Amino acid sequence: MNWPRKDLIGIQDLSKEEIITILEMTTSFKEISKRDIKKVPTLRGKTVVLLFYEPSTRTRLSFEIAAKRLSADTTSLSASGSSFSKGETIMDAALNVMAMAPDCIVIRYPYAGIPQKLARELPCSIINAGDGYHEHPTQALLDMYSMQERFGTIEGLRVVIVGDIFHSRVARSNVYGLRKMGAHVSIVAPKTLLPPGIETWGVDIATDFDSVIPEADVIMMLRVQKERLNQQFFSDEREYSFFYGLNKHRVDMMNSDAAIMHPGPMNRGVEITHDAADSARSLILNQVENGVAVRMTLLYLSLGGSLHVD
Amino acid sequence: MIKQGHPSDIVGLLDSLSEKLTGTFSAWKDVAFIGVRSGGEFIARALVGLIREKTGNAVPLGVLDITLYRDDISKRRFYPEVRSTDIPFSVDDKDIILVDDVLHTGRSVRAAIDQIVDLGRPRRIYLMVLFDRGGRELPIQADFVGKHIELPDKQIIKLDVSDDGASFNGVVITEVKA
Repeated sequence: MNWPRKDLIGIQDLSKEEIITILEMTTSFKEISKRDIKKVPTLRGKTVVLLFYEPSTRTRLSFEIAAKRLSADTTSLSASGSSFSKGETIMDAALNVMAMAPDCIVIRYPYAGIPQKLARELPCSIINAGDGYHEHPTQALLDMYSMQERFGTIEGLRVVIVGDIFHSRVARSNVYGLRKMGAHVSIVAPKTLLPPGIETWGVDIATDFDSVIPEADVIMMLRVQKERLNQQFFSDEREYSFFYGLNKHRVDMMNSDAAIMHPGPMNRGVEITHDAADSARSLILNQVENGVAVRMTLLYLSLGGSLHVD
Repeated sequence: MIKQGHPSDIVGLLDSLSEKLTGTFSAWKDVAFIGVRSGGEFIARALVGLIREKTGNAVPLGVLDITLYRDDISKRRFYPEVRSTDIPFSVDDKDIILVDDVLHTGRSVRAAIDQIVDLGRPRRIYLMVLFDRGGRELPIQADFVGKHIELPDKQIIKLDVSDDGASFNGVVITEVKA
């Protein structure tokens, strides 16, 4: 097998074969987390720096645990509590980090395109942990892995993604990946939260949630970004919840095998109720568990060997 | 490829290995095989079958993928595919018979031992190989050897085994390209 990529910027760049390789290897890495000694020596002596310019709990912790289980050294920097908040540009900050010779930088940034720029300008591997409204590739890979684990295959699955598509990098990465893998994707959102150009995504678009529920194999709820409330994308939480929230009534309409997913963090009572989040159909904690294994795979592929391929 | 052996060539070697094992182990209590993917897995599986025929004992079998424990990962041009490690028993306090197809530099065995001790604390680890071709780079020796052979450094001998370790197509000797 050959993996010539230095970086992982987005699912859009990956071929179907590369996605299949990642998902296959993830099963092997998942086994490591079930051992008593949850550590292999593979990336001994490698340094991974986590640069997070946006708040994150799950993703950062997941990358950090993944790197440590492969014996890499990790250092984590967040915008608050560092000189990033003193006005240093991202390029200056990145060059300073680079001067300390990391092998990989995992970056989350509030605007699209920064991981790509770092990948172009820095010799180390760059892994995108979410950039603006662009992509969140490791989230989509762990989502696809969780679906494949649950259903055996992604091909032909009917996946419904519900919520704030406009501001969601998770939705974009998932749409790119799921379509490459042969799933059928439907988007459900109020019209104010659909991005321009969505008709080119190759997905079905609905505004009536109830109409698509009985057909779905997977219902993926997106977080309502409460900061959007003041920006008049929708009128209030109760109205949003009434039309687009996943509640007991809607869970009862789902087909008997269908699963519920959410990338977290959840706003319980807004886009998802307790009944839905804690139901037997929920894969939400499987997603978190699989996130560590997917990130181990990507760190291994990015750092595990020489980048020079003849 | 410079030489292709027939599957029947190793039947006698496997049988003599099983004789050596039944001479050493009598009770087969707390003994288990661990085969290194994929040649070692095949041999270990064959020996489990022979021991069952000869003694009636069903010895547990585990499979090890040593990719993540290799010492040459950052020197390789291609990424070795990581396959699963599947050891369905605790190695604690067991006599482990570690099985590989070929013993050469000893580096694979070093990686396999490191991985086994990360999984627990066996009472003892034995090493069994089908072919010992010399050329050691680490102080490692096998307890049970099917056959000692001599090969030029640039030749590789391996078992041609399917990825799942189920089917075996013979012994293959190839030349490494300079």
